[in-house]
Amino acid sequence: MEQLVALWHNTGLYQMTPGQGFMIVIGMLLLYLAINKNFEPLLLVPIGFGGVLANIPGAGLAEAGGVLHMFYTVGIESGAFPLIIFMGVGAMTDFGPLLANPRTLFLGAAAQFGIFATLMGAVALSYFGIMDFSLADAAAIGIIGGADGPTSIYVASKLAPDLLGAIAVASYSYMALVPLIQPPIMRALTTESERKIKMTQQREVSHREKIIFPLLLLLLVAFLLPDAAPLLGMFCFGNLMKECAVVDRLSNTTQNSLINTVTIFLGLAVGSKLSADKFLDITTLGIVILGLAAFSIGTASGVIMAKLMNKIGGGGINPLIGSAGVSAVPMAARVSNKLGLESDPHNFLLMHAMGPNVAGVIGSAVAAGIMINYVGG
Amino acid sequence: MNTPTLIEEGLNLMLFGMGFVFVFLTLLVIVTSLMSWIIIKIEKNIGVIPDEGVVAPTTFIPPHGPLAEQPATDDKTLISVLTAAVHKYRSRK
Repeated sequence: MEQLVALWHNTGLYQMTPGQGFMIVIGMLLLYLAINKNFEPLLLVPIGFGGVLANIPGAGLAEAGGVLHMFYTVGIESGAFPLIIFMGVGAMTDFGPLLANPRTLFLGAAAQFGIFATLMGAVALSYFGIMDFSLADAAAIGIIGGADGPTSIYVASKLAPDLLGAIAVASYSYMALVPLIQPPIMRALTTESERKIKMTQQREVSHREKIIFPLLLLLLVAFLLPDAAPLLGMFCFGNLMKECAVVDRLSNTTQNSLINTVTIFLGLAVGSKLSADKFLDITTLGIVILGLAAFSIGTASGVIMAKLMNKIGGGGINPLIGSAGVSAVPMAARVSNKLGLESDPHNFLLMHAMGPNVAGVIGSAVAAGIMINYVGG
Repeated sequence: MNTPTLIEEGLNLMLFGMGFVFVFLTLLVIVTSLMSWIIIKIEKNIGVIPDEGVVAPTTFIPPHGPLAEQPATDDKTLISVLTAAVHKYRSRK
């Protein structure tokens, strides 16, 4: 009889706390969104499953010694996984559209306003005593507005490891929701005639320019903002491997097998942060709301900047490409393209929107570097 | 009483951060444009036929006869075949 009782005490059912049960449901919800609704499945499947695993009572997968905790310590706490992903992203990025029209970098800069506006929002929430965020927390939440998963995780792991789970989930969910969040804002801020503006065909960019650009960017980062060097350094390295065309084997590995491998472990490790005591908190709600605000403000400021450049620069810039200044490559550029086609079925903005899109990646990495520099150092 | 300073710090970080992002990307625009300008200058002569002309070809390959004579206006059958295919594909859904 005693053995039976002991066995019962060891079952998950006996040990389960309501919080854990709820988190397992949330993990399942993420899996449902990923599998049925196709929301960033590459990340939400591992994250959701990791979340379920982390909350199995008694198994302790996410506690010290557990395998998920190990993934977390090795990959995220050290900052390695987001950086490796960034290298892969670099190897997949084509700077051609950006080089053809360098002015689009300004759009990538303007869209980062969402990050800093949200930071103010988070600080204001603590000021009025609604929530309790430190400056570091606020900075990590703001970076959700950069719409860049690896950057958010990197910054959160450096500045606010406690909030990492919520920040990563919010960041990736909003990236999946880009086609829903952005269009209303873009329509509200532009007129029909502005949406119809045709952009001139881009000039051809030579191979040499593409090889030199990552090196140039690296030097600029090295001179001005060493705190952004981990992110942008890996990004430039990946891009150089692709463009120099003499290490195709390495470049292919980086773009495919390596980034996929790391994504699996990154997802599981982020999922391990979805433990009940950390996630079921009012701050998570705050992060989700602030993240949405960050995203919307970023989109809006990008569009406004594009309108401004169109006015000052003598026309020729369709304001719709401004929204692509939040990174979310290539989803945001596709949204710009789609809205352009709605107004004029012959107006293809995709390549024009790729410029601000990759500029947004650079911009949010620079913003991340500033946050880490200011708050951490 | 550190809440007011938190707001101040936030404002500081916002102004400093946004300013720096713009400065950085402006510099990047300048440097990139300069780089492109230089490279376009260097590469200007690539692909341009030199003044002394190109050496004339020594052999002459005639174009394929039947290919050149293919009727270009007979699109009717092609269109009807394509229409049927599209129709079949749509009705399958």
